[in-house]
Amino acid sequence: MITIDGLTRDRGKTRILHEVTFRARPGRVTGFLGPNGAGKTSTLRLLLGLDRPRAGTALIDGRPYAAWDRPLTVTGALLDGSGAHRSRTARAHLRWVATGNGLPRSRADEVLEIVGLTADAGKRAGKYSLGMSRRLGLATALLGDPRVLILDEPINGLDPAGIRWMRGFLREAAAEGRTVLLSSHLMGELAETADDVVIIVAGRVVADGTLAEVVAGHPSLEDAFLAHTAGEGTSW
Amino acid sequence: MVNLIRAELAKLLGLPTAWIGLAVGSVVAPLLAVLNAGAVRAAIAAGRYEFSADLAYSSIQIVMLGGLILGVVTVSSEYTPTSDDAPGARQITTTLLAEPRRCRLLAAKAIVLVLVVAVQGTVTAVVTLLVVEHEHGGTYPPAEPARVAGAVLEWVLLSLLAYALTLIFRNGIVTLTLLVVNSGVVSVSWLLMKVTPLAAYLPDVVGKHMYLSDLGDVRIHPVVAGAVLLGWVVGLLVLAARLFERREA
Repeated sequence: MITIDGLTRDRGKTRILHEVTFRARPGRVTGFLGPNGAGKTSTLRLLLGLDRPRAGTALIDGRPYAAWDRPLTVTGALLDGSGAHRSRTARAHLRWVATGNGLPRSRADEVLEIVGLTADAGKRAGKYSLGMSRRLGLATALLGDPRVLILDEPINGLDPAGIRWMRGFLREAAAEGRTVLLSSHLMGELAETADDVVIIVAGRVVADGTLAEVVAGHPSLEDAFLAHTAGEGTSW
Repeated sequence: MVNLIRAELAKLLGLPTAWIGLAVGSVVAPLLAVLNAGAVRAAIAAGRYEFSADLAYSSIQIVMLGGLILGVVTVSSEYTPTSDDAPGARQITTTLLAEPRRCRLLAAKAIVLVLVVAVQGTVTAVVTLLVVEHEHGGTYPPAEPARVAGAVLEWVLLSLLAYALTLIFRNGIVTLTLLVVNSGVVSVSWLLMKVTPLAAYLPDVVGKHMYLSDLGDVRIHPVVAGAVLLGWVVGLLVLAARLFERREA
């Protein structure tokens, strides 16, 4: 369970998050939807302890991310890029991450298998395509077999087969009882994958509920989203 | 903590640039001792070389560069963009997700650095001294283990200094320019010493008093020199750790 309460953050003199509050529940895929620059990544980075909030709390199963010992065994996160130094091979990258969290080195090959990178395990991360980098990032998130998954724009850079694979993967993770929180600016994708939807616009949560609740009264999630973002002068 | 140290060791030794540091440290010093042997022998014969014990220690000074490179690389590699597709993405994100307690992370990195530089420094110093001994049939006064220890200690402390500076600047180029140019090309500290003898206590020169005897007019006891350098390193590490705690990744 992810619990976010009153999360507020400033960048310089601008307030970029205004008391963001929502939940992501186990066994469900929660879609965090918003235009570029709405505060999705900022919220996720606060949740992961990478940045500091001005106010509010973000908890994973009742504790801040940084309070967990061996955090990768609880939470797996995918942010921008592969997260691997470009001169390291995928396998070497996964091995040091595994070692640091007390996981067996053999986990590296297991997660490479899951994301379909076994054949490229010995290739340097800097040589990876965008899609392969995303898969390596996901492999890193899966190392500790975590019960919470936090994924920032996971389908960015994936080809159609990769997108279909990711959709199936996320559904399966939720079916296994995991908490899945993914951000996206692609409404069609979220409408296919998410059980619950949180819409954030200009740093404020404007809608929060099950997919059916958020869409209610609109022909599609896209229409619901546009109705919520009307007048915000979105950049895309 | 043991897992964290093992992970940081694997991380550091998995970097090609770290091996450049190790190679510079381990190969160049003995090589220089051999290459310089002829000129040094002539100088001794002509009576122009007073402290022949220093000839060994002078040639091992270059080992310091290896430690500096390692100190820089262990931090700068964290901040290198992972690919051109995602210019904002860096390894530091993975590192902090794997170990969000930042002080523990910095401690593990420092321990790994100390271990690697100490092992490399000791091996290289002994090899270089043996080369000098072979080329010149011994030194006068004879090479003392305490001076080898002093030299290795200086390199370890200077690598930690490079580590702290790179954490503060979050950029390896700045640190390398500062330390390498300063130690190899024009030493600002040496120039300052012409102005005030207090400049001899600056971190890049004070440590040399732990193992070199002929260092100009200012004499500093080896123990005092070590304590002063340690003070610099601890001070900068504390500053770096506080910045790292407070800054956003």
